[in-house]
Amino acid sequence: MNDRYKVPGRTGDWFGVDQPARPSIRKQTAVREAAVSNPALSLHLLQKKEPAMVRDAPTVVRRDHAYHVVAEDYSYKSEAYYTILAHELAGDDVRPCSRAVLDAFVVPVCLERASHAGIPVVPWGISQGYVPLPAILYGLNYFATTSDYTVVQDTTHAKEVIKHITNMGKYPFCYQKIGDSTAIHTCTAIFGRTTGNDYEIIAYAKKIYDLFAIPLFSMVFVQTGNNYALSSLTPTRYTHLSDEERASLSAYRDHQVFL
Amino acid sequence: MSRLGIFVDRKTLSNAEQLNALIHCRDVAEKLGHNAEFLFPVDINKIPRMDALFIRARTDPMNITYVAARMAEFHGIPVIDDANSIQICGDKINMYSRLIQKNIALPKTVFLSKNDLNVEKVTELFDTLGTPLIVKEPSTSFSLRVEKVEDIAGFFRVARRFIKMSDWIVIQQFVESTYDWRVGILGGKLLYACKYTIPSVTFKIQASVNGHVVYCGVESMPEEAVPPSVIRLGIDAANAIGNGLYGVDVKNSNGDACVIEVNDNPSLESGEDACYPQIYEQIVEYLFAT
Repeated sequence: MNDRYKVPGRTGDWFGVDQPARPSIRKQTAVREAAVSNPALSLHLLQKKEPAMVRDAPTVVRRDHAYHVVAEDYSYKSEAYYTILAHELAGDDVRPCSRAVLDAFVVPVCLERASHAGIPVVPWGISQGYVPLPAILYGLNYFATTSDYTVVQDTTHAKEVIKHITNMGKYPFCYQKIGDSTAIHTCTAIFGRTTGNDYEIIAYAKKIYDLFAIPLFSMVFVQTGNNYALSSLTPTRYTHLSDEERASLSAYRDHQVFL
Repeated sequence: MSRLGIFVDRKTLSNAEQLNALIHCRDVAEKLGHNAEFLFPVDINKIPRMDALFIRARTDPMNITYVAARMAEFHGIPVIDDANSIQICGDKINMYSRLIQKNIALPKTVFLSKNDLNVEKVTELFDTLGTPLIVKEPSTSFSLRVEKVEDIAGFFRVARRFIKMSDWIVIQQFVESTYDWRVGILGGKLLYACKYTIPSVTFKIQASVNGHVVYCGVESMPEEAVPPSVIRLGIDAANAIGNGLYGVDVKNSNGDACVIEVNDNPSLESGEDACYPQIYEQIVEYLFAT
């Protein structure tokens, strides 16, 4: 049975996590199904009935004894991270788990896990200065976010970027050598589903969701010919979602027709 | 012959003692019949070829040490510090939550969300925990983002700074003492114990005072000189976190011992091992036995 879950101080007042207030929704099954099968309709419902998705305010959805934490930002020490942690400490089955969100957004760990799960990944290395060109660069430190990746084509640009992402050489960074004719392709996944039609991407989104159980993330792929290789997972701001994706997320989150 | 990787980051090596301790560790491993080699961040892809990994660098779930620990785990290689210990000890909210769950004695501790940072809540904290209060940013190390505040205005000054780095912060009752016990635990057993004498100009074991960094004094203490209750508390606290290598800080004012924090990757280079010359032997043997 699906229900919406609010966490009023799960492990004491000091760890209470306020959820955004949600109105009670009792829609008929037919309406819910229609909303999902017809994004335009669910967008209409969103505009008419649903409160806006709130930045920094994770929502917890319960289904089949598991708690799904939906947020745009799962970064370490964020509200979403601590919401997940509170559930783990309470012994709940929570998705994603705190380990998954750490792993997913530390590029080498993400790629290693994805590779073990049979998802093709871009070969990567760690460096403190040298990079083979062209390459994609990711910071690897407390202040880095996977959203800030940079493609470098020449030495001058590479030096400039490396200086920035390593804080003047203080930290190592992750590089991924790419070919001259490769393209970068990004795609958002909502509960492991995408709004695109590329069957390969659809399959990878599902596998990645099975691996990390993160409700909302973007995938960065390197495309060479017809082949894709995963470069990273990045957090996705609600404001960056297309209307169709927002409708989809809202339908999954509020009407509970996912999984 | 087994291979031990000692993972270091030259950017976090700050003094000759740390370097000497690393060389001593390598020598001990070789004396025990293992091949030991230093691995730097750029050598991370060599980890799968090791039989055990000992991380000796500043750990954090967001830096290269977490990658090293996870790489070892992906390939079934025993590692100190394991990723779980890095994740828990790197975040004081996570760490204290686990200690609270196991009923480990702590100073009164409250976690404050950025959404609750208001005058009423802060007044309540002073009323409940007393004055002064200790405010901690959860991922601080070496007491860098630990501050003592005397009033509401001071609280807001510090809390607003810390809230920029974490959505939750830690507020604790202040426990006065002139020294902390540091109890080193490996696999649930006492490895070493020492006293960290707090400099008179600060309340922390390390602080920047007038632009100069002042460090605590370190005095290695034999087991029989340490109150048994302190050792027991150290072991219980370490067991609440995991089964690796930890340095547990304990205050024992008026005989009421309480845990200040549990550190993964504890310092071993400042004389902590003077009464325990076999520390590295025990660590290496533990790694290869797991």
